[in-house]
Parts: sequence; C-alpha cells; structure tokens
Amino acid sequence: MLVKINSVAHIGLETVPVDVEVDVASAGFPGFTIVGLASKAVEEARERVKTAIINSGFDFPPKKITVNLAPADLPKDGAAYDLPIAAGVLIASGQLVLPPDAHSKMFFYGELSLDGTLRPTRGILLLALFAKRTSGATIFVPSPSAAEATVVSKITVLPVTMLADLVRHINGTKKIPALPHTKYKISEDEGSIDFDLKEIAGQEQAKRALIIAAAGGHNVLMWGPPGTGKTMLARALPGILPPLTDAEALEVTRIFSISGLLPSGVALIKKRSFRSPHHGVSAAGVIGGGTNPLPGEVSLAHLGVLFLDEMPEFPRNVLESLRQPMEDGTVEIVRVAGHVRYPASFTLIAAINPCPCGYLGHPRRECKCTERQIAKYRHRISGPILDRIDLTVLVAPVEVEKLSITKEYSGGSLTSKEAKAAVVRARAIQSKRFAGTHMYTNSQMRNREVKQYCRLTPEAENFLKMAAEKYDFSARSYMRLIKVARTIADLADQTSILPVHMAEAIQYKQLV
Amino acid sequence: MKTFNRSTGRAAEAIATRALQEKGYSILERNFSNRFGEIDIIAKDKNTLVFVEVKAKTGIEYGIPEEMINPGKLQRIRNMAMVYLNGKSLPCRIDVVAIVLGTNNEVLRLTHYENVT
Repeated sequence: MLVKINSVAHIGLETVPVDVEVDVASAGFPGFTIVGLASKAVEEARERVKTAIINSGFDFPPKKITVNLAPADLPKDGAAYDLPIAAGVLIASGQLVLPPDAHSKMFFYGELSLDGTLRPTRGILLLALFAKRTSGATIFVPSPSAAEATVVSKITVLPVTMLADLVRHINGTKKIPALPHTKYKISEDEGSIDFDLKEIAGQEQAKRALIIAAAGGHNVLMWGPPGTGKTMLARALPGILPPLTDAEALEVTRIFSISGLLPSGVALIKKRSFRSPHHGVSAAGVIGGGTNPLPGEVSLAHLGVLFLDEMPEFPRNVLESLRQPMEDGTVEIVRVAGHVRYPASFTLIAAINPCPCGYLGHPRRECKCTERQIAKYRHRISGPILDRIDLTVLVAPVEVEKLSITKEYSGGSLTSKEAKAAVVRARAIQSKRFAGTHMYTNSQMRNREVKQYCRLTPEAENFLKMAAEKYDFSARSYMRLIKVARTIADLADQTSILPVHMAEAIQYKQLV
Repeated sequence: MKTFNRSTGRAAEAIATRALQEKGYSILERNFSNRFGEIDIIAKDKNTLVFVEVKAKTGIEYGIPEEMINPGKLQRIRNMAMVYLNGKSLPCRIDVVAIVLGTNNEVLRLTHYENVT
C-alpha cells in the first residue's frame, strides 16, 4: 500500500513542501530503501525509524519498503523526516488508520530517537508558517520544540512526545491536547542588565553615541587605550536597546529556529541579540555557510548588535565580508547546493586600540610603537568599512578621581533605564514613520527615503555642505550623516533637522 | 555451535530443494563451490537458470532470515554465478529461500522470493 505524508524542507528561510511517499509492497524481497536525494542524516532515518517502531511496541513489516522524498531533485537534509517516514510505514502497513483524505491537511515533522521519543528539531516555526497557508492544517511536531509553532495562529499544533502517543491520538484512544496559541506581548522586565550605564565612570560622549546607535541602529566605532571601558560600554548596550516589536520578534525567531538555537519551550525571542564573536572566527562563521548554508553571526545579530572587540585582530576577509550586509541589510550565500539569502540588518559596534601597544595619544603613558607598526595596524581596517561607520568616539583614559569606589560618582550620568526610555520614544517616532514598509530604523533608510523623511532646515543643509567640502566626505557618508542627524532630531523630538543636530552628527564623523 | 549451525544449514538446503522440486524446478547443482564461495542450489525454472541462496534461522529472536541477506552476500552470489556461466549468456536470476525453523528443526515458515536483485 502506498501512502503520501506531507512534510517540508527548508532552503535558507524558504520552506518548500516535501511529499514523503511510503510504499510497503505486498511482494518482493524485504528491504528498506530511501530515495530522493537524501543526505546521510536522512539515509540513517532507516535505522532510527525501524528501531523506534519496534521499541514503541509496533511491528516493523518484513516487506519491501520504499520511501521517496519528492521533489526528487531537491537535496534533503536533517533528521526531520523520521516522523513522516515512521507515520507512513505505520499507515501503509495498516497499523495506523487515517480517515480518507485526512492527511492532506496534516504535516509531520521531527526527529525520532531509538526508544520512540521525539527529539527537538530545528525549523518548527518555519513549518508552522508554511502550514498556515493550508486552511485547517494540523502539525505533528516534537513536544520539546512545539512551543515555537504556537505563535502562528489558525493552525493546530499537536506536540508529540512518543511515537505511540501519535498512534493513540489518530486511532482516537487517547487524544493529544493541542497547544494554545501564544499571543505576543512585550514584557517590561526582561531580566537583569549586565552593566548599567551609570556604573561606567565618565565616557559621556561614548554613552551618548551608544544611545544614538540604539535609537537609530547606527554603527559605532569606539577607540581608545586598553582598560578605558570600551568593552564595558558595549556590554551596557543591550540594556538600553528597545524590546523587539511583534514583527521584528518573528523575523529574529525564524532565524534562530532554522539555526536550531531556540531554547526548548521558548515560543518567541523578545530580546534583541547581542553577538560578540571572537576574532578567531571564520568568514563562513560570520556571514553564514556550510553545504546547506546556515545563518552566520551577522544574521543571528539581525535587528540586534554585532560587537567586534579588537576589530583589527579580525582576519581581513572576515571584515570585508561585512560590507554587503552592512549596506543592504541582507546577506547572500552561494554554494553548490543552492543560493540562500538571510536577513542581516545589524548594528555594528567595534572597539579598537589606537596602535598595537595601545597607548598612542595617552596623556600620561608613552607609546612604544614605531611609525611602521602603527601604519600597519591602521591598515587592517579598510576605508570602505570605516566609511560605513556613522559614529566614531574616543574612549579616553578615565581620570582617577572619577574611579573612587567609596564616593558615589555624580557626573550627571543617565541610568540605563532612563536611556532606554529615550531610545524607546525615538523608536516609536521611527516606527510611525516607517509604518507599512520593511524598515524599522533610520539607519535602514535608502536614499529615496532619506529625501522623503529628512527635512533639513536651510542652515543645517548649509552646514552639512560646508563640512562635506572641508572633510571630503564620500556620497555614502553624506547620506549616512543625514540619517544620524535624523536620529538625533528624533531623540530631541523635533520634526525637522536643525543645525545643532547636524553639528552633533558631524562631530561623530571624525576620521581615525 | 558451529557444527550445529552447519547441520541446520544442510537440513534447510534439503528442505528448500524439496520445495523447489515441488514447484517444478529441476535441480542442476547443489553446493556449487570454488574458492570464492558457494551457491546453495542451482536450478532451472522453465528456460531460466536460477541461483538460489538458502537462509535458515532457528527462531527469530535474533532477527528474521531475510535480514541476513545483504548487498555483499548478493554480490558474492552474482560473482559465483558469473563463474558458473563461464561467459555464456543465458536468462538467469537470483532467488532467496528464507526458512524459519523450530527447536526440533521443524519448518515454521518457508518463503521463496523470486528475482531479488
């Protein structure tokens, strides 16, 4: 008997339907073959399915079993076909009876373990989003990862713990209760913050730059001698980032779902990601890669922050690979197996020392580097990358009196809570501005939107022209300056960009 | 144990031979062997030459006899058949006879699979 089971395959963030055809022949020498460009993991489903069926107390038919994964020319990877194959074998051998044409609305997806329990499987959210297109769809997914499917409305999510439970559910002896739909709501308290802005002594300019970056999604370069708080400042950034909105959360969760990084039981990611890869990272690790390309750090930092500490230590090819995502907000990975596009709209925060020894320009310590060493060090970060950085701040050595641990420092510094409130207000203005588009922040504007939304007063425009001529800004820098000024104006709750906003934006555009 | 397995095998081959004869096959050879291996039975079904592998198991606690036939074993039979044909081109096929025996060597099940390759 031949049965057809619905399942899916993922190509990047795209989901395509896969028909799992299982035939249990009445004649022929017993055997179990899987065809349809199955990878090693899918091939091995044979042994898992066979053992899981037997250990769940069912019979594995000693017959000629052929499984076809259609479309035949699409490479299939991963262990998610275990459950559809097992269900197919049980139905085709008459041990599980489905009402006729019930399976057209049923989707099976999940990895089996040898004892018949289902293991967490990646990509459940994408399956749920795909199943939504079929009205009245039911998805059978492993219970450890079922939560991520519940954010999708209008589908029935059935968490399966054991293969035997699935059989009991379909035979009607013991129903599996469907998981309730999870409504997205922003929780005010998102856990503790690593560092509060108030805890960091001095560095008011850097803090201001981080607030602007958090509000508008601009890139920041912090430079200064070792031990002045660059890393600490970056670590304080997650504490002032606004929570993800409904649509943003779904985008980020999709990426985490396909990477298999979603913790068990978590339905949606609500916190912006803060990724800080070590400088030993490979280019594939940053932009994404593999034979079936998975998202890299830039995509995991989507709508969040990518922090590169000690930026000049990163391999050149890794830094240069950031150019495309920094400009387009997406990254395109091409491999033999196919061509995948992942979103990668992140805020880059980079920290660098002024020279190899770190003390160039230090008020009290002497720099021991030669001219050549310094030139070589600076050379590691190319012009095109620096051109994409909107805010450059010097993180200077801290004065000793500000470091006192007994006396509470009262430099008029904002707390992270206050800063976050300002950021959230500025973001609210932006989300109103970009309602109905795919953009969320000022930094994502293209030239057309810059012209549409950034009204400069004549004085501000004049000021920008003068600065552009004096410092020889590139066309890209020119546009980026306007975007930063837009964010500064949003923070000040001004509809048009005034010279004071422009001046502040230009002040951060210094060349290192 | 080894002797026991061998005697079981011999008994099973005799059972299989009888079964094939009842089906109207004529038996040409039994235990055709050289240094590459052995073909349990070579028979003729009408005009087709049939190479038969007999696989017997006492009880199925350790798996069914069909599971013991793997691609390697089939390849060995194919090679042996090549030797037997000695360059001649005749219609031929490979069959498997799977037998499950009880503790007293009584036949619990006998299944004949035609053309398994």
